[in-house]
Amino acid sequence: MTTLHAGSVLTPEERVARRNLILRDALSLLTLFLFTVVIFALTLLLYRSFENHRVELGQRWKVRGEQALRAGRPKEAIDALRSALAYVPNTETEIELATALADAGRTTEATAYFNTLRESTPGDGMINLQLAQLAARQGNETQAVLDYQAALDGTWQGNGYDRRREIRLELANYLLSRHKDSDARLQLLIAAGNAPDDATIKIEIAGQMERANDQQNALGIYRSLAARRSAPLAAVEGAGRTAFALGEYRIAADYLAHTVANIAFATLPENEKGADREMLDTANHILQLFPSINERPALRAQRILSAKNTAHRRITTCTGSGHAMPPPLPALVARWEQLPSRLTVSQLEQDPDLEQTLLQLVYDTETATAQACGAPTADDASLLRIAHNPIAVEQP
Amino acid sequence: MTPETPITAAGPVMPAAEPPRTRLAATIDRIAPTRDERLFLVLSIFIGVISGLLVVAFRIAIEWIQILSLGSAPHAGQLRLLFVPAIAGLVVAPLVIWFFPAARGSGVNQTKAALYVYDGYISIRTVIGKFLTAALAIGGGHSLGPEDPSLQIGAGVASIIARNLHLSRRRLRMFAPIGAAAGLAAAFNAPISAILFVIEEVIGSWSAAVLGSLVLSAISSVVVMRWFMGTEPMFRIPSITLRDPREFMAYAVLGVIGGLLAPLFSLILGFLRPRLRAMPRWSQYLQPAVAGLMVGAIGYFGFPQVMGAGYDVIDQALHGQFVWQLLLALVFLKMLATTVSFSSGTPGGMFAPTLFIGAMLGGAVGAFEKHFFPHLTGTVGAYSLVGMGVLFAGFLRAPLTSVFMVLEVSGNYSIILPVILANTLAFLLSRSLQPVGIFETFTHQDGLDLPSMEEQREESVLHIEDACQPVSVPVMRGADMLQTVSEIVAEAHVTAFLVRLPDGSLYAMTAAELTSAAATLAPETPIQRALKPDRLPQLFPDMPLDSTLHYFPRWPLLPISNRASRGTLEGILTLDDVLARYRNAD
Repeated sequence: MTTLHAGSVLTPEERVARRNLILRDALSLLTLFLFTVVIFALTLLLYRSFENHRVELGQRWKVRGEQALRAGRPKEAIDALRSALAYVPNTETEIELATALADAGRTTEATAYFNTLRESTPGDGMINLQLAQLAARQGNETQAVLDYQAALDGTWQGNGYDRRREIRLELANYLLSRHKDSDARLQLLIAAGNAPDDATIKIEIAGQMERANDQQNALGIYRSLAARRSAPLAAVEGAGRTAFALGEYRIAADYLAHTVANIAFATLPENEKGADREMLDTANHILQLFPSINERPALRAQRILSAKNTAHRRITTCTGSGHAMPPPLPALVARWEQLPSRLTVSQLEQDPDLEQTLLQLVYDTETATAQACGAPTADDASLLRIAHNPIAVEQP
Repeated sequence: MTPETPITAAGPVMPAAEPPRTRLAATIDRIAPTRDERLFLVLSIFIGVISGLLVVAFRIAIEWIQILSLGSAPHAGQLRLLFVPAIAGLVVAPLVIWFFPAARGSGVNQTKAALYVYDGYISIRTVIGKFLTAALAIGGGHSLGPEDPSLQIGAGVASIIARNLHLSRRRLRMFAPIGAAAGLAAAFNAPISAILFVIEEVIGSWSAAVLGSLVLSAISSVVVMRWFMGTEPMFRIPSITLRDPREFMAYAVLGVIGGLLAPLFSLILGFLRPRLRAMPRWSQYLQPAVAGLMVGAIGYFGFPQVMGAGYDVIDQALHGQFVWQLLLALVFLKMLATTVSFSSGTPGGMFAPTLFIGAMLGGAVGAFEKHFFPHLTGTVGAYSLVGMGVLFAGFLRAPLTSVFMVLEVSGNYSIILPVILANTLAFLLSRSLQPVGIFETFTHQDGLDLPSMEEQREESVLHIEDACQPVSVPVMRGADMLQTVSEIVAEAHVTAFLVRLPDGSLYAMTAAELTSAAATLAPETPIQRALKPDRLPQLFPDMPLDSTLHYFPRWPLLPISNRASRGTLEGILTLDDVLARYRNAD
């Protein structure tokens, strides 16, 4: 290393001294290099040994933390996972710690933690899901929906297909809780379209659709399941329930009858059984009142006359209460007064237009009186149900 | 007395002269004049690597001792928390007093003293002692940090290596800061901050001579550190974005609070340290133990976060994991714990506690502000991060380092504007309240007077323009005849004048020289033939005034040129002008 001075005039002794200096410097640097190697080896040995110890400690605390988390003791989990992270920092433990923080109700800390994690792995589905849940918990709807969407678009370890469906259902559920039914319906339709041929999953999706007031699509799913050889009771019951809600009482009665007749029906909760029976009775009663075009003309005319009498009693009671009549009622009364004073079955059988006029008057009366005089009971209630959608009653 | 005799109130004792070494250095200088310069750079790399390795080992030692003594997950209520720091104090005190007296304290001032007082001498005993005692103390729970000891260990390594290579005294002296930068860079995993800190606090002046070596050693040590510990920055910082410029106000408030707290911390330390050191010698054996007991009590009764360096706690604060009340409590408890630990003479540094207190203060201010002004978008973590820099700037008085330190330890450059704003405010406020910085206070308490950046900031450096006078002497051309020049000079009644030569250079000639030339040369001889071969130096108005002094024995006056217009004279300078300016400088 010693640099010679170019053109220097050195005495022979100085040249020897310079040579010795070069040798000594080279030897010194070699010694220094060897010393560095020795120090490096020693440090490496120390480091490896310590790292192993750290890994053991980290693993021990991680296991403890995970156990506490699973056992629903988030505070204990936080301490343990924090210790684990101090020894072996890794994203998985960080997610668990943030989850524990969220479970312990420390939402702000958990959000901060997950945000940090997302910065390093923005496409991680789990992190985005946790952030979505935290945003939902904090009432930040816009952020929650964004994060749910990021979770759906993110990467997942293991079965991402199932996880994405679960998240979509969770998102739909959240949207329902925020009264965003149409947005929820959209998510449920996508979920239904991507769902595997699994009855449990389809029943869950259909159930959510019912909550989102999408009875039509729910009925479609239930019916497809109910058509199977070993149809699950929930599907048959769901089909009856949704058909009933849609006013399709023929279908409802059919499925509800099968429901009640099913052996597994006994295992259902009492209130559910009661509701099913009540729906079945109502549906049957409606079908008995309904003047179906498929019935004999005489029977149809009889039912129309019976309905006419029921509706007339209802409007008479309603208008005779002494209160001022709401706007639609006087017009209805006028229409009633225009009817012939006496109508017979044979008259109706021969005059299909009269039949239609009478039926329309009955439906209009039940609808108007329900609004003006409160909810109807008995046959009036059944006629009102028919009035909502008469065409649907006997939908096949 | 050995050269690294601890700094005492009575003042340091210079090492005995070493004639053989001086003779050897003189010989080397003659037979290989550029040897030192070349070795300087190569050794910088070796120093960096070895310092990095030692700092890795030091950090491992601290953590291992901590796990063995305090347990793998210390928490309040554990009896060992109460006693372990006290026991560590009992072990460390005799070690420091009997075997390693130079290991006492943080290591920054000791390194600075080595540079300015002991010709860069730090003994191998000091390095070993610092390693052992600081590891025991910090690992045992004392509220101190490993960075300053790492700095001293690095400086010691550099000193030992340089001594063994028989480098010149000047080079030997410069090696201490090079090693210090390496040690600090490895400890912080932050090379730029380490270099800046060494320049700001250890060297005390900007010196281009060592900058290259500082960079080489710091980078080498960081490479080693990262090879072992990974490339991740020291702290995992949550995402930080500054969406609304009005938020600068909130960071400014943090800067002001930090600027008020830093002098308070300085004041407490500056008050307690000399008083404890003045106590009877026997009490010195017990002081670290008592300090340990106090720190342990704080930990045992609910605040184990204050024990040790506290990096993990800083990390938690950066993630907004504490409520502001707890953060505020930790600010004052850490101040107390650090004050007693450090003042008791326990070896350990001030960096980590400063960062800790800053992070907690920032978190507390941030959480408080966010509570009452929820529209603020910065996270509590962002305030913690800025808080770290604030206290660093206000307490350690290293404003440049504080900015880069925050950026380097976090790896997050998006926070730079709030950091600069808050740090500047804290630095200015702290400096106006407490003009003497903490390291300088310690230096004075130790009976030393070492240069510092702080002094330089106060100094007003005079420049040539401050003394420059208009050109009042004749400026002749080189081709002018001797007779003409003589007539003009005689008419002007001046003792010296300028001659501009065809190549643009200038010559200042005295009237005596002219008379002498006129006596020997023909009157029509061009004046340039009467000039001596040397020429005036090129001087400009922005150059330091003192740089002109050594020209006056040769030249009667100095012309000052314009940098923008070659050949244009801005004025002239005489020795009387310079001295008059210095006389009026105060």
